[in-house]
Amino acid sequence: MSQMSASERAAGATEVPVARAPYFVRKKKGISPQSIAIIVFLSMCALFFCIPLYVVVVTSFKSMDQIREGAIFALPQIWTLDAWDHAWNKACSGINCHGLKVGFWNSVMILFPSLILSIALSMVTGYALALWNVRWAGAFLFLLFICAFVPFQIIMYPLIVMTSSMKVYGTIWGVAIVHAVLAMPVLTLIFRNYYKDIPQEIMSAAVMDSGSFWKIFFEIILPMSGNILIVILILQITSIWNDYLIGVTFGGLNGQPMTVNLANLVTISTGTTNYAHNMAAALLTAIPPLVVYFVVGKLFVQGVTAGAIKG
Amino acid sequence: MLKKTLAGLAVALLLSSTAYAEEIVVYHSWSSGPEVAALNVIKKGIEAKGHTWTDIAIPHDTGSNVNLMNLVTGGSPPNVFMESNPGVFRDLAGLGFGRPVTEFFEEQGITEHLPLAVAKSITVDGEIVKIPTALHIDGMAYYNMEVAKAAGVDPASWTSLDAMFADFQKVSDAGYVPLAIGGQQWQVGYLFHALAAATGGVDFYNGVYGAEPDPAVLDSAEMRTLLETLRKFQEAADEGSANREWNVTTNMVITGKALMQIHGDWMKGEWTAAGKSAGTDFGCIQIPGAKAVVATVDSWGLLGGQSPEMDQAELDFASVVVDPEVQAEFALAKGSTPVRLDAPESALDACSAEVLHILADPAHQVQNPHSMSDADWQNSIWDVVFNFWSDPSMSVDDAIAQLQDNYETILG
Repeated sequence: MSQMSASERAAGATEVPVARAPYFVRKKKGISPQSIAIIVFLSMCALFFCIPLYVVVVTSFKSMDQIREGAIFALPQIWTLDAWDHAWNKACSGINCHGLKVGFWNSVMILFPSLILSIALSMVTGYALALWNVRWAGAFLFLLFICAFVPFQIIMYPLIVMTSSMKVYGTIWGVAIVHAVLAMPVLTLIFRNYYKDIPQEIMSAAVMDSGSFWKIFFEIILPMSGNILIVILILQITSIWNDYLIGVTFGGLNGQPMTVNLANLVTISTGTTNYAHNMAAALLTAIPPLVVYFVVGKLFVQGVTAGAIKG
Repeated sequence: MLKKTLAGLAVALLLSSTAYAEEIVVYHSWSSGPEVAALNVIKKGIEAKGHTWTDIAIPHDTGSNVNLMNLVTGGSPPNVFMESNPGVFRDLAGLGFGRPVTEFFEEQGITEHLPLAVAKSITVDGEIVKIPTALHIDGMAYYNMEVAKAAGVDPASWTSLDAMFADFQKVSDAGYVPLAIGGQQWQVGYLFHALAAATGGVDFYNGVYGAEPDPAVLDSAEMRTLLETLRKFQEAADEGSANREWNVTTNMVITGKALMQIHGDWMKGEWTAAGKSAGTDFGCIQIPGAKAVVATVDSWGLLGGQSPEMDQAELDFASVVVDPEVQAEFALAKGSTPVRLDAPESALDACSAEVLHILADPAHQVQNPHSMSDADWQNSIWDVVFNFWSDPSMSVDDAIAQLQDNYETILG
């Protein structure tokens, strides 16, 4: 019964614009001057983003001799995968020349614990703050809200001392804990705002059915969190994968993520630069979040429109 | 398979039982081909002494070395680290990790073979704390010999900057860019201090960039000449120079679009990577008429407060780095110049030989600002100079006023 009303509510949220739609939809088909302007504008926007990408992609297939000539828009004279092979298998990060694949696997090892830890922590906190009577909940929320604006760099040093005293500095767990702590304010607020819209009746009924804190969470709340989880997953995967500073600071000797490998390859002060290698490496590093986005991107949009990050 | 593993283990055990084999954790920021080749020269040397090399590479630019200090405060410091900023060494000494090597250098008789600028660069507060590994000159002019011939000029014959600028018209007429310049803040900053040494000489330079700058030089005739010279360079820059990387700029010279570039002599790496050789394809001279050249010294620091075995291993590392033969091999791989005047000459290319020839005169050299200047002061100079560069309407007086202002704020 209560679940029915919840799904009705959710459905209602998407139905409203659908019901209204006919009033606003274009009256006649065909191309008006207005739509031409829009198409031109959109194509320009698309070009604006695609041109740099085009340069990156074609450069990664060129030979260094051709790159030296400086015509960045030209297609490769000879298409070669050497740069990709080099970036993945042979690029040096320091004296170890085993390519980006080392960092790739480090990044994967960092990603999963960090994801699970950060999402679990903020999901439960958000649930407690939204649906249970927590003393000082308002104050705590306000504090979290403030924390969301504290830049990581400011608290980096204390965090190092803390993780060091917890004996996790320089390990993957150190990185995961820091990711979880730093992501907590924003993620908690998102979860809390999502759960806040769950009708009080559901909670009352659940409590009456003698559900405990955890039982209600796992049996009622978690199954209702699909949309928001997709949104959070994408946000977190992107931010953890693309992170440089936390990985480089807390990863220690052998736990440095792919971005550090990439930075080693690309940041050249007095050495020589191979642009083909750099471009291939940058693309390789950027691919994983893109894949995630393409696979669950549709769900992401659904999640957003279903009110996941509104409010 | 098992047998192989066992044999490997046995060998490893045997090796580890030889005198004090230690795992040396080496922290640095080098990853490009020539740099790694050079590091491998040192690695080979310390492995011959029975130690192993554990690598940690994090890229960073000059300035305070945050990642290094993070590793130290986190409790997993490296044993050897590449660093030139004296502030980092003072910080480490304050934390109880300082490791002066003055005695070691005296015992080994190393100091007397170092050019003065190198010896000064590795000394912080009266003690030698750095192991010099590579030497570069901040402002060398590298020119394409083919272009010089085609344009009918001979850079080697210029005896002053005026002679150089006078020839530029000829080069432009022949259809080449006379001077390729990368207009990025740090490049202009480097050009500025290279010119400060070239036009102002040792005393002026040290007045600006020394540990204790002299406010009187900020408004001196030398400073005016220097800023006016920089303005001439800015006016000579080609249209595409804004924010161009130095190595892209170098490639303009390599591919024969431009005659020359004045920049740090790490440019040589790009030339050799393109398969060109010094003395036949490209020539190198100091800034025409230079009163002094600026030497940049890449160096290692050793971590103090270690066990006697590790301390010995660190000194082994140091002795490998400064060995004359290793120096020559290292310099050849990196494209740098050996830090010792007694490095075997047969291993030097035309440009390195020229650099060591210049540095044999102790009165003709100064150190890179990063190895002595206050970091904030140095950054503020870059700001002013780059504003001056980017805004042609900014006068020499404006620039001097800003420098004086910054001096008051930072050091006054």
